[in-house]
Amino acid sequence: MIDRSKIPLPRKEFSFSIPEIKILKLHNGLEIYFVKKENLPIVQLSFISFAGSINDPVEKYGTGFLTSLLIDEGAAEYDSLQLNNELEKLGTISSININHDVFSLGILSLKENFERSLQLLSKIIFEPRLEQKDFDREKKKILDKILQLKDEPSYIATTNFEKLIFANTKYSNPEIGNSHSVNNISLDDVKNFYYNFFQFSASVILVGNITESETYELFNKYFSQWKSPNKSWDEELNIITRPKKSIYLINKKESAQTELRIGHLSKNRFADDYYSCKVMNTILGGQFSSRINLNLREKKGFTYGVGSSFHYNLKYGYFGIATAVNIQNTSEAILEILFEIEEIRRNISQDEVDFAKSYLTKQFPSKFETYSQISKNISPLILYSLPIDYYKDYTAKIQSVELKDAILSANENIFPEDIIVLAVGDKNIIVPQISKNFDIEIIELDLDGLKST
Amino acid sequence: MNKEPLKIDYEKYQLENGLEVILFQDLSLPTVAINIWYRVGSANEKPGKTGFAHLFEHMMFQGSENVPKEGHFKYIQEAGGNLNGSTSIDRTNYYESVPANYLDLVLWLESDRMGYLLPSLTQEKLTNQKDVVMNERRQRYENQPYGLSWEKIFSNLFTSNHPYHWPTIGWMKDIEQFELDDVRNFFKTYYSPANASLVLGGNFDKANAKNLIEKYFSEIPGFNSAPKVIAPNQKLNETIKINFEDNVQLPRIYFAWHSDRMFGVNDAALDLLSEILSTTKNSRFQKSLIFEKQIAQEISSFQYSAKHSGSFLIYSTPKPNISIDQIKENIFFEINNLIKHGVNEEELLRAKNGLKSAYIYSLQKIDVVIDHLNHYNYFLKEPDSFIYDLQRYENVTPDDVINAASKYLQSSFVELRVLPKK
Repeated sequence: MIDRSKIPLPRKEFSFSIPEIKILKLHNGLEIYFVKKENLPIVQLSFISFAGSINDPVEKYGTGFLTSLLIDEGAAEYDSLQLNNELEKLGTISSININHDVFSLGILSLKENFERSLQLLSKIIFEPRLEQKDFDREKKKILDKILQLKDEPSYIATTNFEKLIFANTKYSNPEIGNSHSVNNISLDDVKNFYYNFFQFSASVILVGNITESETYELFNKYFSQWKSPNKSWDEELNIITRPKKSIYLINKKESAQTELRIGHLSKNRFADDYYSCKVMNTILGGQFSSRINLNLREKKGFTYGVGSSFHYNLKYGYFGIATAVNIQNTSEAILEILFEIEEIRRNISQDEVDFAKSYLTKQFPSKFETYSQISKNISPLILYSLPIDYYKDYTAKIQSVELKDAILSANENIFPEDIIVLAVGDKNIIVPQISKNFDIEIIELDLDGLKST
Repeated sequence: MNKEPLKIDYEKYQLENGLEVILFQDLSLPTVAINIWYRVGSANEKPGKTGFAHLFEHMMFQGSENVPKEGHFKYIQEAGGNLNGSTSIDRTNYYESVPANYLDLVLWLESDRMGYLLPSLTQEKLTNQKDVVMNERRQRYENQPYGLSWEKIFSNLFTSNHPYHWPTIGWMKDIEQFELDDVRNFFKTYYSPANASLVLGGNFDKANAKNLIEKYFSEIPGFNSAPKVIAPNQKLNETIKINFEDNVQLPRIYFAWHSDRMFGVNDAALDLLSEILSTTKNSRFQKSLIFEKQIAQEISSFQYSAKHSGSFLIYSTPKPNISIDQIKENIFFEINNLIKHGVNEEELLRAKNGLKSAYIYSLQKIDVVIDHLNHYNYFLKEPDSFIYDLQRYENVTPDDVINAASKYLQSSFVELRVLPKK
């Protein structure tokens, strides 16, 4: 028998260097964040523009989202089905997404089909048809999707929580819009949004089994008409006041669980204490072995899983805890979460900080394994204008966080007095529990986040 | 297409206790990954004890003789690794990937729970994980729109004496009643090295890895006590129609037929049939019901094949004010049209190309590659079957697709209608 009683020690650490990221600049100013990766015959490309949904016209929320659905419904000589057939024949996967900050178009293709795929992508970007019949169909699809989303408890919870957090800013509306705002959108609005697309700065991320000279050649061939504007969103920051501590409820009859969202507005991505805040949140709720998950799942059994995170967009950030709990334990779960929020400000141990730093730094190499992971890691460089060598000292920055920094960051980023709680579930079971434990008025909202009367 | 990346250079051997070992070295990675399949899934359960294979998977993360309750996750995460497990009808898997210098750690953890789980078992751990699993069932099925549809379909498609009759997560009333003895008996019946296969992938020295695997696993006694799963032949004599009211805005209709099992002669043709029917914008269902007629909000079909049997499934959500019957009529029109007028070369080629590229894309992640090696080893006894598998699809002719459609989709089926509660 071998002695199993001691945990085996690691062997000598392997050296790891992150893939080299280069910026290739075309004559027209378009910048390509380029990583050569040769282990498979794959090329992954993303075209990222700052034309996000915050540019939706007032009362027409969802315009950007609708544009993102319509843009590949036919381009140049191809109608919608023909265009998609061309991509399907190649086995190329195209993806078009929009969030509040950016509009992105991507393709994942085999190396042998990359040129043709890029050519098709350029047609989508420069020559979309944007026709009325396609617009009508896609608009109806979105309206019916909005109807279906009323069935999704986690979607209802997240979107309404963000609506409360971001109050009257442009971040308070979901990208897809609402039934009222989408009804207001016309084809001309989409055409304007598409035109707008070319007013914002954009960059390309290319990770693939392809050389620099091939890249220059292909982009000069298919993206020469791009005129690089340098506008980025410069709207004044609305000053949002944090709503005072409150509990909100959205009634979902006969729900099997309660969806909970708990948190408040926070600093944005540019805060000086970004790294100590990351270490602190890792301890609080950022991974499986965090305080909140071990308490609510592994000790109490209230949930299948719970996590906390700082969500960043270009201008704002918020701190949020998300979970779904057994409806009978709703109030107890809220109390435990509020306890952990208070507790992290009072004490953190050196062991916890060491664990978090080890977790964050040692997993770093594995975040650069796939083509799409590398691409995903490059996008924050573009979004937050971070330097190209940003990742070089990433682990050193995490390592430099000390115990006192973690405690300080808990006190400077988490505010129990500002916490808002949103519960989505069966009112008849939730309200009596909360009334028993909290001396606070419960504010009931409808599915669209409006106060119920 | 160049198939070079699909050729996997591996080494397979067996320990004396019966544990199968497959090594796949890739020195270009900074990580090492382990993936263990135990040949037990929900098909090994008995009525009244459903969901146990999955609950047991949870118990495997609750520590073992030398690992404290929260230790398994904590040690792997502290090393910067990823880990999880999953349970299907036919097997249960566990996997970790860590920086390559932590190979000893993962072998120690996996062997400790393979050999020495029971000494650390407590009622408290079981009660806690029953609560967690009941919340998993609520979160993933009961509190999701249409979330109970699949278990309603399979419990009607398969007779109650067939091991695919119940859902992998189990019936709630069964989960509530599990006891410590159930855990002990299950472990002693199924969690033998002789009932498992271990794949190691990534950056390691082969001689060293073999020594370490020998060191940690060879002392665990092997036994063969797993009873054979009995899966009686299934045939629906008539179509079964079920209506179910749910908290949904739009109704949805589902169809399920018995079809071929995993790697059966018609399995690949049925996969391609589902691609041709519903996967892309140009597929027949999407083109007709979503694009042209605009009567459906979504439509999907797939061949769901497993060890003992397979099923072919279609579901669709009608647009508001469109009747379910109209959707049904259109679906059957498209199926009959395909059987009668055939499949053209272009749509078959499109479907094959989509599958082929997806294969290459899936090789990006070592965890996925080694899980695939275990998958092929389990079903085909040959881990390196990527090229064989792809060849199955390349060999399919238009006639094969038509024959598979007419063989399976012209029989009786289960029809489920999920209707909005009034």
